[in-house]
Amino acid sequence: MTKNLTLRERLSQQFFAIPAVAELWAKRAAKRTNQMVDLTGDIPFSPLRKPLAECRVALLTTAGIHLRSQTPYDMENPDGDPTYREIPTNVALDQIMITHKYYDHTDADADLNVVFPLLHFRDLVEKQVIGSLAPRHFGFMGHIDQALISVLNQQTAPEVAAKLRADQVDFALLTPA
Amino acid sequence: MGLIARNIEAVGVPTVTISLAKALTVAVGVPRAVFVHWPLGHPLGERQHPLQQRTMIFAALQLLLAAKQAGLMAEPGYRWRRETYTEPDWAQLKASVRGISS
Repeated sequence: MTKNLTLRERLSQQFFAIPAVAELWAKRAAKRTNQMVDLTGDIPFSPLRKPLAECRVALLTTAGIHLRSQTPYDMENPDGDPTYREIPTNVALDQIMITHKYYDHTDADADLNVVFPLLHFRDLVEKQVIGSLAPRHFGFMGHIDQALISVLNQQTAPEVAAKLRADQVDFALLTPA
Repeated sequence: MGLIARNIEAVGVPTVTISLAKALTVAVGVPRAVFVHWPLGHPLGERQHPLQQRTMIFAALQLLLAAKQAGLMAEPGYRWRRETYTEPDWAQLKASVRGISS
């Protein structure tokens, strides 16, 4: 909730909203990720196997979304929170909120489509551009650091991957924040 | 975000990721990414700007259909708040049937 931030947190958000600053941050984050996770070897790749109009799609975002009824992400741990929240596909959008103090989500609060385009995808299903929506989507919080990067990579991300398989998802769209 | 995409792709589910941080996307090795040089917190663009948001979705779906190898990054080059967007031609995507990759 943006309004509860300290002045320092607010200034920091404005600073990182500058794309050039964000790019510097990304370079440092890349270095730290490399230290925690072995990224050598091939990038995993699975080809799309169906026409879009037959595909079932799931949405994932690290924008910090969760249902109002779910436990918010941990804002106290400076290394972030590698857990995730399941978002049912038929959710009413006003039941979704954002807990994330490392980016300015004023715009995403006002229009969730900025980070989580569920409404657009409902429309694309209606238009038969996409086959269907998965029964659940997944919210994460970005800004994960240090040992928690490994927890994400070895535990929570593989768990979500298995759930997408179980839901027979044909592809996933991932949006950061 | 990139690590999540890699994990999903590794179990056989294709992904397409929007990126606001090119260096991180390249370093992590994201299977398919659409990069835009926009402020953090706005992967699909401005609020209450559905045509811009839908244009980003369209770019992501186009890449998903076109990509035949890992590590591809599309850079549509949309400038922040200085573009005019129109409704994408979704029929283009319908016509493009990749089918099972050979």
